[in-house]
Amino acid sequence: MEEELERKDRNHIGEKENMIIPVRCFTCGKVIGPLYEEYKKRYEEYKKAVEAGEKPKETPKQILDDLGLERYCCRRMIISHVDLLREAAPYE
Amino acid sequence: MKVTTLELKPNKAVLKIENTKPYFVNSLRRIMLSELPKLAIEDVIIYDNTTPLFDEIIAHRLGMIPLPTDLKLLTFRDQCTCKGKGCPNCTVRYTLSKEGEGVVYSGDLQPEEKSWAIKEDKIPIVELTKDQRLILEVEAILGRGKDHAKWQAVQAPAYKYYPIIEIDHKKCDLCKKCIEECPKNILEIKNKKLSVKDIEKCTLCRTCMDVCEKNAITVRGDENKFIFRFETDGSLTAKEALLESASILEKKYEELGKLLKKLK
Repeated sequence: MEEELERKDRNHIGEKENMIIPVRCFTCGKVIGPLYEEYKKRYEEYKKAVEAGEKPKETPKQILDDLGLERYCCRRMIISHVDLLREAAPYE
Repeated sequence: MKVTTLELKPNKAVLKIENTKPYFVNSLRRIMLSELPKLAIEDVIIYDNTTPLFDEIIAHRLGMIPLPTDLKLLTFRDQCTCKGKGCPNCTVRYTLSKEGEGVVYSGDLQPEEKSWAIKEDKIPIVELTKDQRLILEVEAILGRGKDHAKWQAVQAPAYKYYPIIEIDHKKCDLCKKCIEECPKNILEIKNKKLSVKDIEKCTLCRTCMDVCEKNAITVRGDENKFIFRFETDGSLTAKEALLESASILEKKYEELGKLLKKLK
């Protein structure tokens, strides 16, 4: 379990990165910072519904569309982000 | 030239521009990217930072925040009467001070005057745990996209040729292959005839042309008609950005005209 957690927090080359959601999309510059929290909240709801075997209210695709993320550059910013700041937080 | 708005929101615009050439639309696009001024945080004075992020990272994140920009009230710092010292005509100051559990948002930046309050106030800057502190002061100045991306007010400005889809109804045998293949789902069969639902959504990918065995469909772009779209980051509205870009372009041509008259 602990090993799994470790792996989940790393990107494909095994680096820990992106402590906190970037303010803007790396590619086009759209402001995406404020959208992450809402996406996460709605995604958790979706996940809960799927795990309980119910039909989710909305899919991640619909959430991203609803948040106004049209281009795939902005969409990947949100879906590929790993929030790690809380783990580093005790160290100043 | 004829311009019609297909969509106009505070932060997004889609325009149809007719009877013009690509170079003209492109010049407008490039002005938007590199010449249009906007306000962004340039100097950060950090008094105390005990957060897990480095001073530099916080300063960088602050720089990316879109600040509401009133171009009538501001001048560039190097052209200002204060000679680069920083006065209310060229500089907007904010202060931020937060301590203890919680997220520091862009809205926590307190402006000297209320009119400069940040509209996009929910951008997380850093997260604080107990006993952590962030106290700083920032100066924002006008800049241009060609100097740094933080001064780029317009995002993803792009144009495409207006699509023309021609269907030869004599050749078409209603096999529906093109309807299945179209990535934008803009084709349909109406009254036993293949027709186009929403032509403006067509991306000119020509998948329908490739898949059609009878060569009944041709897709091309109208070289004198464009769909131009762009978004702004909220520092200027889409309309302001467009009008300002057009007037910058106009000034550039006027300057060129004056220089050309002096020749000979």
